[in-house]
Amino acid sequence: MKLTVDQRWDLIDKIAKQTVTFGEYKHTLKDAIGELTVKPLTGIPIAIAVMYAFWSVFGSFAGTLFTDGFMVKLFDGRFLPWIQDIFPGAGGWLYYIIVGNPLADNSFEAFGMLTSGLFVAIGIVLPAIFIFYLMLALLEDIGYMPRLAVLIDTVLHRIGLHGYAIVPTILSLGCNVPGVAATRILETRKQRFIMMTLLAIFIPCGAQIGIMEKVIPDTMGWVLLYLIGGYFLFGYILNKIIPGRSPEFLIDVPPYRKPMISNLRKKVWVRIAGFFKVALPFVLLGCGIVNVLYLTGFIDWIGNVLSPVFVSWFGVPEATVGPLIAAFLRKDLAVAQLSVIEMTPYQMITSVVLVSIYFPCVATFAMMIKEGAKELLGALAVLFAVVFLYGGLIHLIGILLGVA
Amino acid sequence: MNVLLMGHPNVGKSVFFNRLTGANVTESNYPGTTVDFTKGWMKIDGEDAELVDVPGTFSLDPKDKAEEVAVAMLHENKDAKVICVIDASKIERGVYLALEILEEGYPMVIALNMWDAAVDKNILVDVNNLQRILGVPVVPTVAISGEGIRELTSKLKEAKPVEINDIIKNAGCLT
Amino acid sequence: MSERSIADIYFSVLGLITTAFGIADILVTAGGGSFAFGILEVPGDLFRGGWGGFIVLSAGLFYLSGIRNIEDIHPFSKIVMGSILIWIIAGCDIFAMITESIPGGENGPWFNTFDGFIGTYAPPYAPAVLLLPFSLVVVYYIYKKKQDNMSENWE
Repeated sequence: MKLTVDQRWDLIDKIAKQTVTFGEYKHTLKDAIGELTVKPLTGIPIAIAVMYAFWSVFGSFAGTLFTDGFMVKLFDGRFLPWIQDIFPGAGGWLYYIIVGNPLADNSFEAFGMLTSGLFVAIGIVLPAIFIFYLMLALLEDIGYMPRLAVLIDTVLHRIGLHGYAIVPTILSLGCNVPGVAATRILETRKQRFIMMTLLAIFIPCGAQIGIMEKVIPDTMGWVLLYLIGGYFLFGYILNKIIPGRSPEFLIDVPPYRKPMISNLRKKVWVRIAGFFKVALPFVLLGCGIVNVLYLTGFIDWIGNVLSPVFVSWFGVPEATVGPLIAAFLRKDLAVAQLSVIEMTPYQMITSVVLVSIYFPCVATFAMMIKEGAKELLGALAVLFAVVFLYGGLIHLIGILLGVA
Repeated sequence: MNVLLMGHPNVGKSVFFNRLTGANVTESNYPGTTVDFTKGWMKIDGEDAELVDVPGTFSLDPKDKAEEVAVAMLHENKDAKVICVIDASKIERGVYLALEILEEGYPMVIALNMWDAAVDKNILVDVNNLQRILGVPVVPTVAISGEGIRELTSKLKEAKPVEINDIIKNAGCLT
Repeated sequence: MSERSIADIYFSVLGLITTAFGIADILVTAGGGSFAFGILEVPGDLFRGGWGGFIVLSAGLFYLSGIRNIEDIHPFSKIVMGSILIWIIAGCDIFAMITESIPGGENGPWFNTFDGFIGTYAPPYAPAVLLLPFSLVVVYYIYKKKQDNMSENWE
């Protein structure tokens, strides 16, 4: 037998009256602090402090301690000269693919699978994702994410989403793949589509952030500013043109809990294992494929073909076309390759922004197919429009500022 | 045997799942951590049983895609037993979902999870009485530390479908 | 003097100093360049000085808004939050020092020398690090509050 909704609530009312007793409850310090973190006036400075800590610890651990402190020394000082020396056939095509430039004195310029590829993956991205996921797991387990969602709710309504969209967004900052999966918690197709599209286009992943922090620390702020700006600008536009509802936001804010070490360890371990299984092979493969494409002359050819678009529309050198191809496999690799091309700061900012937005990496792409082919096609259409419009807009801003 | 873990978002279903199967699905302190189902194996009285970690849902009337997955899981497994996980400090809402599932004739065991948090808030649930009214086993648990998990699994074989009329009768009201 | 007014005076003074440090951070950053006085060094970069300064300033305002009625849990939670913000900034500064102190530098050996390691921790310090020991006093009051609550429950 089935009850109606009202009958069910009546019954529950009766059951609850007989089984539940509420004792006197005094607000604890934990509750009071919980309230401070969701009220805008007090919550916003706290949120800024949390972001500050996240970024500061990320930079200190991944940048200062691991990459600059040890990995650069290990790869540039020991590994690069050793493999340049020991690998046979300097100047041959195999040497070019695996080791790259025999005269390079740092792992970025060498460009080989085992030199640049390995350095980017192990030397930069691995420490970056380790510390990122450790801190993300902390935020998740303490229970801060839903409070952030409540805080940012008003802003995200402007782009057709609601506060909870912050969860897929933050997950995407680690890797877009779990971010796309997390869009399932949004209620309508419109919201899911907007979210998925914005994630795939504008949210840089942890690997990419890690490498940007290493190779373009001074101009990285601009890149992030353009990406965040694009996220809101195109979110606003998509909200206006896509039909559908954006319902209100209902969420249970859970109490703060003490994180358990075993759970943190487990979460970080899953990510590190994923890195070795997926990211590492893709970085090496991407490096190899791009090298083969250079050898066959394909990249020079396509660079020539697309040169008008790149040079006159975006204002970046045509040499950036190689990294753009690599970006389909791994964004981090593409940024590393861009960093060794001779460019003005404006061109560097623009080309890194283009690498971020022009296409989701292959892993994200596969995840989007799983979530719905129709959505994917729509997202791709939006994507091409965005790349052209936004790339042109950035160029225009550059011209107006007199730097392009 | 087939066992589904169902309940509201963020009541600890994934913690149960990991405890019972030794698997490693992600646990977090926010609603909507699990958006897809995961299957694993557990032992009940030496017998293998398949346990499914289902995304959280507020009711059987899905509001988003994760909830659709949950409801579809339930309807695809007609012969499954259900462990309904309820937040011990918000049992009204949890019982709503439990009733919906019971109405469809699924045998059920109820876990009153986060019992410690409810005690901290001075909320006390009369477990025996709740068990008497609903006619299904009810076990207070603290999944994160493992309290009550063993009792919960041992009660699984007592899970049986109940008539809603009996619940109404036991609750002492006439509809 | 009652314990309550001691707490009031203590956190008012701490709140004022914290607020002043926060404003100093922001002004120094806006002016460009950094500022050192004795064991105090106000950072001048946009991240530590600007954002960090804003957070220190917020911490000061949390203190000042909480002192009115420290017995009550809600104002008290603001004082705790002020301290937590200082712990966040100081924690980040100290963590940055630790990560700098371990490796041996670009052309040096793998690990730092012992002198170099110790030298990283020498003063001057950023404002939040100097405020850190004074902000820890709040732990005593949290502990005391817990004791009070427990004894209340016994009655």
